[in-house]
Amino acid sequence: MRLMRTPKKMDIDITNRCNLRCRYCYHFESSGDAGGDLPAAEWLRFFEELNRCAVTEVTLAGGEPFIREDLKEIIEGIVRNRMRFQILSNGTLIDDDMAVFLAATKRCNYVQVSIDGSMPESHDVMRGKGSFAKALQGLMTLRRHGVHAAVRVTIHRKNVHDLEGIARLLLEDIGILSFGTNSAGAMGLCRKNAEMVQLTTQERVTAMETLLRLTKKYNGRINAMAGPLAEAKGWLEMEQARLEGRESMPNRGHLTGCGCYRQHLAVRADGAITPCTMLSHIELGRINRDDLGEIWRDHDELRTLRERHLIPLSRFSFCEGCPYVNYCTGNCPGLSHTLVGEVNHPSPDACLRKFLADGGRLPDRALLG
Amino acid sequence: MDVKNPIANPLIVLREEFDDWAILFDPDTGNAFGLNPTGVFIWKLLDGRHGTDAIVNRLREEADDVPEDAGEHARQFIESLEKQGLVGYEVQP
Repeated sequence: MRLMRTPKKMDIDITNRCNLRCRYCYHFESSGDAGGDLPAAEWLRFFEELNRCAVTEVTLAGGEPFIREDLKEIIEGIVRNRMRFQILSNGTLIDDDMAVFLAATKRCNYVQVSIDGSMPESHDVMRGKGSFAKALQGLMTLRRHGVHAAVRVTIHRKNVHDLEGIARLLLEDIGILSFGTNSAGAMGLCRKNAEMVQLTTQERVTAMETLLRLTKKYNGRINAMAGPLAEAKGWLEMEQARLEGRESMPNRGHLTGCGCYRQHLAVRADGAITPCTMLSHIELGRINRDDLGEIWRDHDELRTLRERHLIPLSRFSFCEGCPYVNYCTGNCPGLSHTLVGEVNHPSPDACLRKFLADGGRLPDRALLG
Repeated sequence: MDVKNPIANPLIVLREEFDDWAILFDPDTGNAFGLNPTGVFIWKLLDGRHGTDAIVNRLREEADDVPEDAGEHARQFIESLEKQGLVGYEVQP
């Protein structure tokens, strides 16, 4: 498989600080939770290297990016170095002054704000009292100043029955074009709070059915790369392949679950370069010390990850006898590492056979629309 | 007579991806334009010091089997870049 000369984008944890402690935060108490913040000068120097490498966009995450007092200076460095950017935020620290600044850069692809409920009860229970009102205020502030605001809904045990209300709030009352969903994954703080946070098998069924129905109702304005909606679509496809007796599906049957390290790299708040935010335990080098292009092209760890797609799922005892083995991707290597301690292993959390064995039920295909 | 030499917009990012192919990325709009290897060769000479004829001459020096009408194609290519704001002109006395 051909490799680009340099990464196209970078995911940067610009800070290790946050004003909230959401109960399912994947960052805190993970390998990405790595010490103090770098001064802006370090980031500005790194952006010059990104410019030389022709990187075209960066994602600023954390922690909470808007907690940095020098965020404007950092963003000005991104703009000066010919890149665009997006910011992942809890929304609670966004004010008019910042929204005006972001709009004026003309380089902001979007700011993603987390909204997890249609009311304070279903949002604040995981993110902290008062955070719903502030997040909504942040979202509206961005929209008022013409900054493209994306919304991500993380589904958990306390909002799984509020999905209709959330869709109504976001798509009808506020009128955003679409929103994304995922679910609290077994990483970071979520592991500690799993009982309270992570969906049971029955709640997962409810979430899948509800989200498919809402996606149909709102003409596809709800999307997902992970979580119940993505699982429902992917698993229904796999079940259909099994029913039709197909030998395999394209790009399946191997550890093909993620190819992010063919497009981008990540940087932790302490300056360590990693393959992905979800694989932040793998240190490839440090910014302003190691050559990004050399890491991208030549690092052994990356080479190994990029050959992961050649490993057949049939090699794993976990997949032995599974009727879906030729239709499966093994899913996220970061989640697999967290759950079983191995990157090159299928993720048990994304296993259709296990879901069904635990009493799960696939939604009606008619809901696909 | 003034000679206009094309010069690449310094804001535009040349992103060489696979083999000798590349994209031109405009960070202000987010638009990207694909370039084949000949386009990349020409883009790298849009430095304000080479006119179209000089660029085509360099192309003939570097590549085999350059077609007779390469000059016209190069002119059209540079004009299309200019229309999209990717190229401008410096006037030399």
